[in-house]
Formats: sequence, structure tokens, C-alpha cells
Amino acid sequence: MRRNRRSSHIPASIIQGQEANHEPISASLSENEASLRSIYRNCFDAVFRPFSIGGKKRAQLVYIEGLSNVEEINDSVLAPLIRKNATDLCGIEEIIEKKISASSVRKVETIADCVASLSCGNPILLVEQESYALSLGLAKWKQRSIEEPSAEVVLRGPREGFIETLQTNTSLLRRIVKSPALKMEKVTVGIYTQTNIVVAYIEGLADQTLINEVKNRIQRIKIDAVLDSGYIEEMIEDSPGTLFPRVLSTERPDVACANLLEGRVIILVEGTPFSLIVPTTFFTLLQSNEDYYQRFTTSAAIRWLRYFFTMISLFLPSFYVAILTFHAEMVPTELLISIATSREAVPFPALVEALTMELTFEALREAGLRLPKQVGAAISIVGALVIGQAAVAAGLVSTPMVMVVAITGISSFMIPHYALGFSIRLLRFPLVLLAGTLGLLGIMIGMIAIVVHLCSLRSFGVPYLTPVAPLKSRELKDVLIRAPWWAMRTRPHLTGKYDKYRQSPGQQPGPTGNRD
Amino acid sequence: MIEKGKISSLHLAMMMYPTILGTAVLVLPGMMAKYAKNDLWLSSILASLAGFLTVYIASRLHRLFPKETIIQYSQRILGTFAGKTLGFIYLFFYVHLTGIITREYADFIISMFLPLTPISVVITSMLLVAAMAVWGGVEVVGRTAVVFFPVFTIPLVFFVILVYTDLNPRNLLPVMEHGIIPVIKGALMPETWFSEFFLMSFFLPMLTDSEKGMKWGMASVTGVALTMVLINLVTLFLLGQEITTFTYPLMEVARYISIADFFENLQSVVMMLWVLGAFVKISVFFYAVALGTGQWLNLSDYRPLVLPLGFLVFLFSLWDLPNLSVLAHFQEKVGPYYLTSIQIVIPLLLLLIAVVRRRSRKAKEADRR
Amino acid sequence: MKRVLLASAVCLTVLLACGCWDRTEVNDLALVMAAAIDKKEGNRIELSVEIFLPRSQRGGGISGMGGEQGGAKGGGKATLVRSAEGVNIADALARLQEEVPRKIRWGHCKVYIFGEETAKAGIFEKVDFFQRHPEVRTRAYVYVSKGNASRILEVLPPLERDSGEVIRELSKLHVGMGVTILDLKQMLRGEGGAVALPMVDILSPRKGQHELETAPYLFGTAVFKKDKMIGRITQNETRGVMWLKNEIRNATVTVKEEEFEGSVSFHQIRATTKLTPKIERGKWKMHVEVKAEGDMVQNGTVLNPVRPEILGKMEKAFKDEIQNQLETALRTVQKKMKADIFGFAEEFHRKYPKQWHQVKDQWDDVYPKVEVTIDIKAHIRSPGAATHPAGIPEQEVKQE
Repeated sequence: MRRNRRSSHIPASIIQGQEANHEPISASLSENEASLRSIYRNCFDAVFRPFSIGGKKRAQLVYIEGLSNVEEINDSVLAPLIRKNATDLCGIEEIIEKKISASSVRKVETIADCVASLSCGNPILLVEQESYALSLGLAKWKQRSIEEPSAEVVLRGPREGFIETLQTNTSLLRRIVKSPALKMEKVTVGIYTQTNIVVAYIEGLADQTLINEVKNRIQRIKIDAVLDSGYIEEMIEDSPGTLFPRVLSTERPDVACANLLEGRVIILVEGTPFSLIVPTTFFTLLQSNEDYYQRFTTSAAIRWLRYFFTMISLFLPSFYVAILTFHAEMVPTELLISIATSREAVPFPALVEALTMELTFEALREAGLRLPKQVGAAISIVGALVIGQAAVAAGLVSTPMVMVVAITGISSFMIPHYALGFSIRLLRFPLVLLAGTLGLLGIMIGMIAIVVHLCSLRSFGVPYLTPVAPLKSRELKDVLIRAPWWAMRTRPHLTGKYDKYRQSPGQQPGPTGNRD
Repeated sequence: MIEKGKISSLHLAMMMYPTILGTAVLVLPGMMAKYAKNDLWLSSILASLAGFLTVYIASRLHRLFPKETIIQYSQRILGTFAGKTLGFIYLFFYVHLTGIITREYADFIISMFLPLTPISVVITSMLLVAAMAVWGGVEVVGRTAVVFFPVFTIPLVFFVILVYTDLNPRNLLPVMEHGIIPVIKGALMPETWFSEFFLMSFFLPMLTDSEKGMKWGMASVTGVALTMVLINLVTLFLLGQEITTFTYPLMEVARYISIADFFENLQSVVMMLWVLGAFVKISVFFYAVALGTGQWLNLSDYRPLVLPLGFLVFLFSLWDLPNLSVLAHFQEKVGPYYLTSIQIVIPLLLLLIAVVRRRSRKAKEADRR
Repeated sequence: MKRVLLASAVCLTVLLACGCWDRTEVNDLALVMAAAIDKKEGNRIELSVEIFLPRSQRGGGISGMGGEQGGAKGGGKATLVRSAEGVNIADALARLQEEVPRKIRWGHCKVYIFGEETAKAGIFEKVDFFQRHPEVRTRAYVYVSKGNASRILEVLPPLERDSGEVIRELSKLHVGMGVTILDLKQMLRGEGGAVALPMVDILSPRKGQHELETAPYLFGTAVFKKDKMIGRITQNETRGVMWLKNEIRNATVTVKEEEFEGSVSFHQIRATTKLTPKIERGKWKMHVEVKAEGDMVQNGTVLNPVRPEILGKMEKAFKDEIQNQLETALRTVQKKMKADIFGFAEEFHRKYPKQWHQVKDQWDDVYPKVEVTIDIKAHIRSPGAATHPAGIPEQEVKQE
């Protein structure tokens, strides 16, 4: 028997994952109990409850404490089965049909399936002389309540966010997209964590090749644990060598559903509230869901503000360094004089000053994230300004530099998705170096290199800079401005071409009745 | 076809626009004004005819040989040996030209903005990013051009608006004072630039909608011609007869802008636009070179050639022309004949031969029946 | 993958190791605000530059401690004047750099002044420097100074930060002419063969003030033939020249006629001048059309300007005064000095190219004989904010 392997170095649980997968449940209750006990040895939270059905047939209930709904087990399973008038029952089917009042009951045939079921919190019912067990859907555990995600706050819009429990997350999706066309397929990844991953899409909207590709990529992951969707993201993304995120992650069900409706695929990972959305483009990463809830004029203005400030957060320090050291004639004379005056006392060249201040600001930011809430607020903004002020007073940096760094920092907060924001923050540094070496030419070369790189990226087959390049003029109305809802008639072409129109034409609002 | 990517004809038009204009608006007004004086805008219009002709020739050749570039169909038209020789001439020509263009761009940057920087640094940085784009394939080259197209065009219009108050339209008169000959003489130079539209022929096989290729090509020529006329007029209105005294007239126009004592000395902004335009131009040329060489050597992929060809271009740009005066002389005296013959005359001949052959073949087949 | 990393590492080190060639810190720059060119013996020139002195700003910033611009205005001088001699401007510049520890940059120099002697000796060579040096701003203004130009740079004007700024602002106000380097070049190569540059001089200091605490001002215009100065015209004549060149933006015309027993002043809002050349029966004529529109700003007469008849009379007086200014200017410049600073030559060239080519070598003879006809349309929009003349009792106000 394979149980001899117990004496080897590989732990039994790994063995059961690799080899005992298809060991069937034997008809002997004591054999099953023994194998389950050996798998779960040294696990005090695995509970084995022997009892007899109707006083005659021996049965064993196995569950993991804390994962199962104990009251339900008592009421719906143990109580009806132990009662004396169950004497004339013999077959498991009859037990399922007549006695167990649990809403979901599944037959399992192998030990591995039993273990899988137990890991999810579903108790296993073993019955004497039956060669399969019953997995009862009585899982329940303590979970976080649904609250607004702290990283994606909106002024207007739903305030629900995903939590760590997969079932709750899928229910949140279903509450929004009620149509049965919303399909959810489950994949399990991770040897130790056996994490359940749900791939959700809307059938008829999403491209079947995309769905298959996503599933393939997830299924080929062979990893020991999946603790967060970030693991999955890194394992399934396209070209790994780039700074820019090609997968969107969000905590909000409304964002997820909006993307589902544009033909994209959502990946929900158990144990983390962050879901993944593929494919994504550069411009999607620059959009916030609030853009779609506010009025279109507001949103268009805010969008442009955001684009402008994204550019600023990327280029401002390098422009400052380049213009001051290479192209001083471009600065208006008055401004140059005040900058020169304030830089008289500073011992460092502009390049060094810029790099030092930027690094310090980044450090402050990261530190502010890790500090406990009470102390964090005090350090971040006020700290930056106070430190900047003190540095100016000490003559280490010039006041314009503090302004530049402050504006850059604030603009980088305008980028809605942290991953993209971080990429841009990182890219700032090589640009400053280039600016210090070659002036504006350096910045242009750097910018060209970034654009060339962006143009060559694809996210699950969709070019990263769609709809600007390749040019899809229909979709520009959602990138350049935010067209009012009655004008957003088409879905983005590359992901949603199977169902081109999302609303019927002629919806521009106006008074009903005669339009004379 | 060793290039697997595809672009649309609109992308192609957007690619060709900065390709031609990138260096054209830089030095052309000065050189044209030397011959045509204040009728230089007429010369631009005249020269655009060459552009239309080139686009037409390239499109017809493309229709006869839909999936091939000139390197390949020259072998079909003229036979393997003659075709290969012709192909080699074209490759040499384009490598040489790319080197000259790179040098022209680098000279501009060095002389106006970064005098102490070694020219090899400027050239290398540009060739590196161009190589990056070419490595990515035609799609990357096309997409970067589309991204940079508005960044290049809109500020040009903006500059015209900013300098509006200083313009003196009366500089336009008298028109055609010395007749049409100076206009024709002045048109020789921009015609050189317009003949570069022949580069289109390298990209036509990769179009997703090739029937629109000619239409968008013509649209691109029109756009380039209009912009050239606009730039010529603006420089003329501001600088008058002094255009010829400036090496880079449009730069002077940019320098002259002064709004509310605040927006001044904007020549560095103009430099940034030029870098973008030059990048598109160099990457398009470089791509043609890489693709052409790959086809000439019958390789399955042109990517390994990118770096060696880049180095070759680098050498050409450094060693060919010793200084700016020789470059100017080359552009004025040699360029028109050199570029026109290779980009217009030879393709025209090829087209005629191909058409004649096809007709005779069809006649033979008709006879047989 | 490894190769890519290696290649990029090499590139990066190369980029950083060789240093930055063109980098100049802002504090290593000597910002030239204005420059003056004077003639010295033996055909040498002296180049003087006015350099701005930034004072350090330690402890400035949000709390405001340590004061503001650190005594740049209050205490010592804001600018520094340095001079050097040389064969030409480039040579003098090289020697000047020997005396100044920061790199001289022309990017902010908006004023260039020629000394009177230099102007008389010829300015072609100097203008070539302006054109060829990449940093010189084409939009900088050019002036001629009475006497030595460097003394203009040395004064410390109270209102602006340096003396160059004073004359530049005066030019921008269109008090006098404002000629940029581009205009200068166009005039030098123009068909008229004459150049006009505004002249500057220093106001005498008021009583009790230090001799340097004064400011330059525009007084008159220097007239050049080819590139040598041949004479100057007064501020009044300059006014007429500005009318003809369509440069009047901001002028007050004061009329003093016996009929009015007092003076009336008009501030003009808009003025355009149009030059139309005509060749009639071999006679060269230039028709000048002036359209001026103004408001009344001071009425020193007893007449009531609200009455249309009176206003009409004043309009005529306005018109006559402008005509007077124009004719004075023409008399001096066209007839006496024979310098075509108005651009007549270009106008004839534009309209009559063939005839122009026939006479262009004798323009010096043809130009003074060009018959100038003037047609002025002067319009007074309103009598200003007041109606009757002030202070005069009702019965004394004349209504016609």
C-alpha cells in the first residue's frame, strides 16, 4: 500500500496531493477514517465525530473546526440521523433525500476530494459499507464586512468593495450583473493553499480566445501558494520585463462589472479583495470609475486635468533641471532672477539637488504608508513641507526645488491606479538623469524611448496604447473626453466587437412629446 | 513578407507627414528663398506635384506586386542579377540618406543648443531609440508616429498664432516679380523632400486596407504641401528678405515670439518638436533599410540586422560630411539629382517596364486563345 | 535577457561617466541685461555689459525670515558694468570674459546701445555679430546713445531693475521708436538704404540726488544712410516719422490755435497709416492715408466740446496738427537728409516692380523728389468724461 511512504521525507499531505489523488474511498469505514486521520494528524482542528445512523449503521462526520457551520451540522445532519426512527434506512441516496436537510450535498469518491472538501469547510459524512462519502455544503467562517475600499474612494458611486471570501465576491458580481450570461469558471491553483480562482466573463461579449487564453495561463501556474492576486498577475502577464502594469486590479465590484460589460475577463482570487481585469490599456489605467458617475462635463475636465498632471509628475523635475542648467534663456528674465537669487546659497548643482529631494520625498511617502494611522498623517504632508522648509533654511536646497518636488508629488497622487502611478514615479529618475546630461534633448530621447516601449506592449493581445495607437476614432470619445452616456453607443472594438452596440440610438435627452 | 505586423493606411499617412516635414521645415525656407525670393510658397506648391507623382508610382507598383517591396519586385521585373544590383543600389542609397538625415538633425541640435556635446552622443542617442522602434516592427514604428503626430502638428499651428502680431503680410508682394523661372529653381529643393514619399512603397505591402493606400498617400502629400506653404508664408511674413540670412529660419520665428514678456525664447520648445519629427523620420528610414536588407538577403527576420545597420548609419553620418557648409552644398546641388533619380525616375522606369511586359504577356495569351 | 542587461548597463555607465558637457549651473551664469558698444582709437571698439547681481536668499521661504531680495535694491547696486576692448565685438567679448568669473550669456540681453561715434563709423560688422551668435536675441532692441554708450548702462534707475529695462519699457510704450535687431537687419538690407534708430540720453539727476540715481530716456531718432549715422532728428520730428511708419500707439496731440484761445489735447486711441505709391505720368507720388481716433483729455479753452460744431472744429485742428507733424518730419528726413526710413522704396517695389528696377540704383536722387500727398481722417470719439470746460462759469462758455 502506498501508506509505506509515510516513512519517507516527503510529508504526507504532499503525497496526498500528488499521488493519493485517486485513491478511492473504501467500503470500510475504519479504513477511511484511518486514512483521513493520518492525513490530518497533528491537526487539532480536524474533528472526527463517530455516530450511528438510527442506532444501527455506523457513520463518521469529519469537519474542520472554525470552517464549518456547527449549529447547522447539529441541526440538519446529526440530529435527524441519530434519531431512532431512521432504522429502516440503508442507502446513502435515501439518507440524502430524506434525512439531511443541508442545501447542498455532493458525492465524493476519492480521499483527495474529501480532503479538498474539508479544506473548504464542507464536512464529510462517511457511512459504513458505502464506497463514497458525502460532502455537505455547510461552510461558514468569520469574514470582514463589506466596506468601501480605502484605496479607491469615490465621491459618487457605490461604496461596496470585495472582501476576502470568494463566495461573497461572486455574489457581489451577481448582484450587479443578474443575467445568467455572466459565467464563472473555477480553477484551483497553489499546492499548499489550494486557492480557488474564479474566471468570470459575459458569454457572447467576451472573446472566446481571450477566455481560453486566460484559463490556460492560470492553469499552467505551478506554485506552492497563492496569497494574493498579485502572484497570479505576475504569472499571467504578457511581457514581464516592463514597468507598466498590463493587468488592472481593483477592489470594486462596479469597476469589475463595467469591464465585464466591455468584453473583458475578471479573475477573482480567494483570500484577497483585489480582483484582476484583463486585458487593459494604458488609458484604462488612467481612468477612474468616478469619471462615469459624475456629469460628463465635470469628468472631461477632470480627465484632462489628470492627463496634464500625469505629464507633470513625470516630467516636471527633469524640465526644471534641464531648463535651468541648459536652456536658461527660456526662462522669463524676472523668474530667472528670482530663481538665481534663491539658488545663490545652495552648494549643490541642480541635478544633485533634484535627485536628493525626489528621493527624500519618495522615502517620506513610503514611510507614511507604513506608519500606523495616527502618526501617518502627521508625517506625510506636513512632514514633507516642514522638512523642505528646514532644508531651505539650512541652505541645502532652494525654494523653487521644494515647490517642484511638492507639485510633482501632488500630481502623482492624481493617477488613480497605484501600480501605474508607481511606474511613473520610477521613470522620473532616469529622466532627471538624462535631463542633467543632455538637457531638453535628453528628456526628448527619454520620452521617445518610453513611447516606443509603450507602443510595443500588448496586454493579452490588445495593444497597450489603444485607442490612440492604433487609432480607433470611435473609442477616442472615452479617452479624450468622457462622452455623455447617451452618446456612448459602442463598445471598445478590440474587446467588445461581438456585440457592438450597448444602447439603442437616439437617446439624447430632451423633453418628451413634440419636438417642434 | 518577413514583416508580420500590419498597419492601416491612416497610420501610414500619419507616418509620412512628419517623415517629410521633420527636416523640411528646418532648412528649406532659407534655401528656397535664395532662388525664389518671396515666391517661395509657390515653389512649395510646385514641388508637391513631385509628391503626388511619387505616391502614384508607388501605388501602381504596389498594385502590380501587392506583397512585395521594390527590393523584391525589381528582381521580378529586371531579372535576378539586375534586380539584385538595383536592390543593392537602393539599400546603399537609403543607408547613405539615413546617415545624412541623422547628421543634419544632429548638426542642428549641436549648433543651436548643445555646442559642447560631442556629436556622436547626439547621433547615438537618436539611433538607439530609432533602433528600439525598428526592433519592435512596423506596428511600433507606426504607432509611435501616430502618437507623435498631434504632438508635432498642433504646436506648429500654435506658433503661427503666437507670432501673429509680428507678421507683415505685405512681404508677399511683389508676386512673381522675375517670372516663373525663380519659382521653378526654388522648387528643385523641396521636390527632393517630396520624392521621399517613395518610402511609402516599403509600407504598402503591410496595409490592412491597401485599396485606400493611394488615397491616404495623396492626402498626406496635400497635408505636407499645405504645411510647407504655411511655414513658408509665416517665415516670409516675419523675416522678409532676411530669410536667406538665417540657417534655420523657423527657429528664428520661434525665437521671436514674446507674449506678455513671459513666453519668450521658445526655441528650445521648437527643438523638442524637431527631435520628435526627426525621430519619426529616422525610424521610418531605418525601418525601410532594415526591411530592405532583410529582403535582399532573403532572411526570415530582419531583426538581427538592426544593430549592425544602425552602426553603419552612424558611420555614414559621421564620416560622410565634414561640416555644415558641405552639407548645405550637397543639399542644394547634389541632392535634387541624386534623390530624384533614385526615388522617382527609376521607379517610373520600373513601372513602365512592368506595365509593358504585362501588356505584352496579356497580348501573347490573348493570341494563344 | 542577459545581453540586454549588459548592453544597457554599458550605455548607462557611458552616459554618466563622460559627464555633462553643456551644463552650466544658473549660478555660474553672468546674465547680461544690456550691452553698449563704443568706439575707441584705432578702429577698436569697447564692449560694456551690464550684469545682474543676484543676492543670496538664505532663510527665505515660507516663514519669511531673513528678508526678501536681500538688499538687491535697497543696499548696494543691482547691476555691475564691465568693459573690455577689442578689435571687434567677438574679440572684446573674449577679453571681457577674462574679467568676469561667470559665463557670459546673451540670452537675456534685450538692449543693445551703440555709441554715437560707433554709429557714425558704421555698424555693419557689429550687426553681423548679432546675427551669427546663436544666443543673441533677435527681438532685442537697438539704440544709439548721445555721446558714450557705456554711461547709459551705469545709471541706477529707481523704477526698474536696470537701465536697459528702462529704455526697453519706454520703447514698448511706443513713446519713441522701438527697433529690434530683426528690424535693423531688414532696414540695412532694405531697398531704401536707410536706417532709423532711437536715441537715448540720460536725464540730469534731480537736486540732492546722487549723480548715478537717474534714468535714461528716449530723445529723438538717429538717422543712418547705409550703416553710418548721418544725423539726428528731434523728438517732435520723430513723432512725425512714427506716424508715417504706422508706429503710433499712444500719443497725445496738443493743439494750440489762436481761434481757440487756449490749448486742447487729445489722447489717441487708434491710428493707422497706409502708404500707397503711385506713378502718374512718370511722376512718382506717395499717398499717405492716416486714420486717427482719439478722446479729448484736456480742454484749456472756453469752448464747449459737447456741441457738434465745436467738436468738428476741434477735429479739424487735430487733423491739422497731425499733418503738421508729418510734414515736419518729411521736410527734414526726405528733403534735407534724403534718407528713406519710411519704407517708400519697398512700397514702390511691391507695387511697381519693373519701374523700381529701373531706378533702384538712383534711389538717392529719386527719393527726395517723390511727391507726398497726405490725407488725414481724424476723429474725436468723445470729449472725455467731462462736458463743459472746468471752472468756467456757465455764461462764459462759448457754444460756437
